[in-house]
Amino acid sequence: MSAVASSARAAPGIGWRDIALAIAPLVLALIVAAVVLGIAGHNPLEVYWLLLKESFGGTKRVAATVAASTPLILTGLATAVAFRTGVFNVGVEGSLLVGGLAAAFVGFTYVDLPAALLLPLALGAAVVAGTLWMLVPAVLKARLDVDEVVTTLMLNFIAVSFTAWLVNGPLLAPGSANSATPMVVEAARLPKLMPPSTLNAGFLIAVALLVLYWLWGRGTALGLETRLAGLNPRFAIASGINVPMLIVKMMLLSGAIGGLAGGIQALGTVNRFVVGFSPGYGFTGIAVALLGRGSAIGIFLAALLFGALATSGATIQLFSDVPIEIVNILQGTVMIFAVARFSWLLKNRRGGK
Amino acid sequence: MIDNIIHAAFVMTTPILLAALGGLVNRIAGIVNIGLDSMMLAGALAGLMVASLTGSWPAALLAAAFVGGFLGLLMSLTVTRLAANEIIVGLGFNIAVAGLVRFFLKSWYGTSGTLSLADVAMLPRIHIPVVANIPVLGAILSDHDPLTWAAWLLVPVSAWFLARTRLGLRLRAAGAAPHAARALGLNPLSLRDASTVFAGMMAGLAGAYLCIGVVGIFNEGITAGRGFLALAAFYFGRNRPWATALGALLFGLFDAIQIRLQGRGLPAELVQTLPYVMVIVILTLVAITVKRARNKGA
Amino acid sequence: MSTAETLPDASIRLGAQGVTRRFGELVANDRITFRAMRGTIHAIVGGNGAGKSTLMRILQGMDRPDEGMVVVDGVPTVFLGPADAFSRGIGMVHQEFMLVPGLTLLENLVLAHEPTEGLGRIDRKAALEAARKLEREAGVTLDWDTPVDDAPVHVRQIVEILRLLYRGADVLILDEPTAVLAPAQVQELIVLLRKLRAEGRTILFISHKLDEVMALADEITVIRAGQVIGTMTTADTTKAALAEMMIGEILSKPSARPSSVGRPVLEIRELAALDARRSLRLKELDLDVRAGEIVGIAGVAGNGQDEIIAAVTGLGHIERGRIVLDGKDVTKLDLRDRRELGLSYLSPDRAVEGLCLTAPISENLIAGRHRSPELSKGGILQKGAIKRHVETLLDRFSVKRTSSALPIASLSGGNQQKVAMARELDGGPKLLLACQPTRGVDIRGIAFIHQCLLDYREAGGAVLVISEELEELIALSDRIVVLYDGRVTGEVARGSAKVEELGRMMLGETRQEIPA
Repeated sequence: MSAVASSARAAPGIGWRDIALAIAPLVLALIVAAVVLGIAGHNPLEVYWLLLKESFGGTKRVAATVAASTPLILTGLATAVAFRTGVFNVGVEGSLLVGGLAAAFVGFTYVDLPAALLLPLALGAAVVAGTLWMLVPAVLKARLDVDEVVTTLMLNFIAVSFTAWLVNGPLLAPGSANSATPMVVEAARLPKLMPPSTLNAGFLIAVALLVLYWLWGRGTALGLETRLAGLNPRFAIASGINVPMLIVKMMLLSGAIGGLAGGIQALGTVNRFVVGFSPGYGFTGIAVALLGRGSAIGIFLAALLFGALATSGATIQLFSDVPIEIVNILQGTVMIFAVARFSWLLKNRRGGK
Repeated sequence: MIDNIIHAAFVMTTPILLAALGGLVNRIAGIVNIGLDSMMLAGALAGLMVASLTGSWPAALLAAAFVGGFLGLLMSLTVTRLAANEIIVGLGFNIAVAGLVRFFLKSWYGTSGTLSLADVAMLPRIHIPVVANIPVLGAILSDHDPLTWAAWLLVPVSAWFLARTRLGLRLRAAGAAPHAARALGLNPLSLRDASTVFAGMMAGLAGAYLCIGVVGIFNEGITAGRGFLALAAFYFGRNRPWATALGALLFGLFDAIQIRLQGRGLPAELVQTLPYVMVIVILTLVAITVKRARNKGA
Repeated sequence: MSTAETLPDASIRLGAQGVTRRFGELVANDRITFRAMRGTIHAIVGGNGAGKSTLMRILQGMDRPDEGMVVVDGVPTVFLGPADAFSRGIGMVHQEFMLVPGLTLLENLVLAHEPTEGLGRIDRKAALEAARKLEREAGVTLDWDTPVDDAPVHVRQIVEILRLLYRGADVLILDEPTAVLAPAQVQELIVLLRKLRAEGRTILFISHKLDEVMALADEITVIRAGQVIGTMTTADTTKAALAEMMIGEILSKPSARPSSVGRPVLEIRELAALDARRSLRLKELDLDVRAGEIVGIAGVAGNGQDEIIAAVTGLGHIERGRIVLDGKDVTKLDLRDRRELGLSYLSPDRAVEGLCLTAPISENLIAGRHRSPELSKGGILQKGAIKRHVETLLDRFSVKRTSSALPIASLSGGNQQKVAMARELDGGPKLLLACQPTRGVDIRGIAFIHQCLLDYREAGGAVLVISEELEELIALSDRIVVLYDGRVTGEVARGSAKVEELGRMMLGETRQEIPA
């Protein structure tokens, strides 16, 4: 996506205008949500204040927010690596599901392995599963120019049903009736950083990857190639860059990160795989990548924002009668406004040239 | 048993078919509508509310079409006037509208997820006396509601509309070559808006069908991704109404079989994946054919 | 004010009165005055960048002149827009056809003006009747139910013309209508246009193909560098006179010292290629470029130049033949591998293919070379080395810039092209394929780029220049190869190239036919 790719470019200086443009989608979404809240008889400012307090007021709340943002950093990153290459991968959700299931499977099957072996193996399984999940759309896109939006979108639904089948049948926990695998053994779980919070080492992995992404995007030959291919594929090809191969590589990388997101969620938070494992982390990841404009710091902040909304949304229901769904409304409208261009509204109309 | 499955297949086909025909017209005019599911959901809720309020099913359908069409208009304007990417906007609509519907249920009715109202006017079923007793044919033709009949009638109508009418021709032009259409004095953006409104109305009707044609109550998961099945259907049918209807019928059949498979130890979930797998296979086959033709010609 | 002066001369169907149009510094149209009389064919001829397209945009209301007016039916007029021009009967056939794919010819004919009956249904009978009537007027027959995608180019062009008539135009502006046609089809078009003229329609015909202009036009207006050089009736002029007016004098010649010609660096053997419309555009071409030599390819656009570019770069499919680069057969290799072997490629389309306008200057300068050992180690870009490299190159090619981190779109056209040139000459290529090297570049930039090419040649480089600027080819080339309809129609050595002679060869006359 060129809008994302172009803003991912390292600008020589960031002015107020850039910052205003970057937060405009959020502001507009907050206004829309405020109208909804107002109509429902709530004071939007109070609600927003409550949300803020519930997500950042105190160490525990911050820990919960950061924990909730972990999968979003990864799905946002997975989306961003594809977008910056000009590939419209909307299938991170599918990679996340198969990755989560693969990690859980390793975690409850090879129970005799020591933690030092089992945990990397389980995460590795997640990465492999997520990567393989993207293989078909990647090859179809690169070799036959099959629209990746449709194939990856379809694969999401296939992943939902496919994993549901596995956990309802072959991988169902014995004696369980609720569509879940057995729990993974202790040795396969990611260490908790601040018990009893679910915040775990997965967050460190996510941040480390984000830093790598930042360095990679700025300082490597591959990072340069993906950016050029995303901005102008014809130019990239004429410069001697193998663009189809690049598309395959980056879609697989996107799938790998998506799979890892699932693995971290399975081994760090849920400790198994269940139907309904993901409340749409992959789709939120698209919003994160768009709102973060494909930059590492932007993805981090956007993931934190949506993580905050997820945790505070869950608790404000306890303190007020504001439905948690205000979070979904914000998320959806942020996505919409993140791709809308308002520039022409400001431009004065002038005929001809 | 066979008759039951056939009848159920037609019931399950109707919502997919309605939304797919809308999405098809939308796509022909140049917009891939990923937001059909959101318009279906909103239409379902509006349909149920009005069916309960007025006790009239035509009024309920009207309301559902209106709400769906309104969402379609909003979505279309974002795409055509704010130059937003249609895929992202569609996904955003699905998320935002699902949230809005649940928010509304909680704020207005104080319920979460499911809404059951009194005196809901359901769609009537048209019983065809003699035919009803003929095996298979009876299951196909008898005891369907007016919306099902309308949906199937719309298949030839939309084929005719696109091929033979002035508006159909202009919609095709707006989708295939907006630049040329503009040069001839047409307004491709407005034509696209009109097609998205139509798609929204059809999706709204599809939602209402689920509510007042099948179950009689509203549930936040009532669409069960049928908006995406509709998308799969018109991709499967490659924008041709009859082929799209065939896709919708096939998916409806899977749906009917899958419901029956549940609890019998057969993998119902795997049947659910079939429509999506079929779309990928079809797109691949088409791409291979195109590539072959190009290599042969060049 | 006497009556005689105010009475408009209605025999002037369309014209211009002192039309001037400026884009920044550039004066695209400079006080252009001409008149196309009712019921005649009027040709406007001129080379590339003469200002023809700007004038056409103004004549059909898509653009407005800064000074002067368009004349319609003898009355000076200001068009409000294309629709306004059209309502006065003025329609244009564009170079890239405005037909809608997926629709039949008939549907395209009536689109936006469909005859209808009840329920918004298109009245097919009425549409077909109208189509048949137009067929008779134009003296053609078409299968109206063919989808546009299956119709050959000349049929599509006829449909475009008939569509204008269908919609009520009686002035047809045709922009390079024969550029896409085979010779036989050109004859058909000429017959059709003559028939339309006989029915009283006015035709404005833009071209740089002089034999067609001579065959078709009643009057000819030559423009060059935005100015009208002269208007004459066809009977009173010759092709040679027109060519001279079109091209003008050769102003300056960059100094080309003799250089020693070495072994062949590029060998093209029996090359045949199809164009985008799948007709054979290149037929059995043989061509060598040797070290220390600049070979120019002259020809009217669309005579096989694009296919040579596609074949040499590997970006397009070829039908038959071999490409040998520095002794190695590269026919099956892609551009990346060919670049490894010493090919450089200056794209004719700077904005889309030659540069990435939204990327920084520095990245445009190192793209494709970014994996060379000096610029990256183990896949890691060497920032310091890149910075030094970029600044050195920019200085050497005297690119005016504020910062190499800014998007290249911030540079002028000339400086952009210098960046592209700097990249392609960097790293010592064996062969440079330079396509339209100075398109959209100002005079000083042109001189600079020409000197670069000559310096490279002197250092032993081989250059294949493809250009529509004859002047440029004459100034640069050691040999000029003339291309017509996919074949070489002649070859001229440095010093003996004459515009007139080249012009004739570009029109398909082989050298032998020209009397000594």
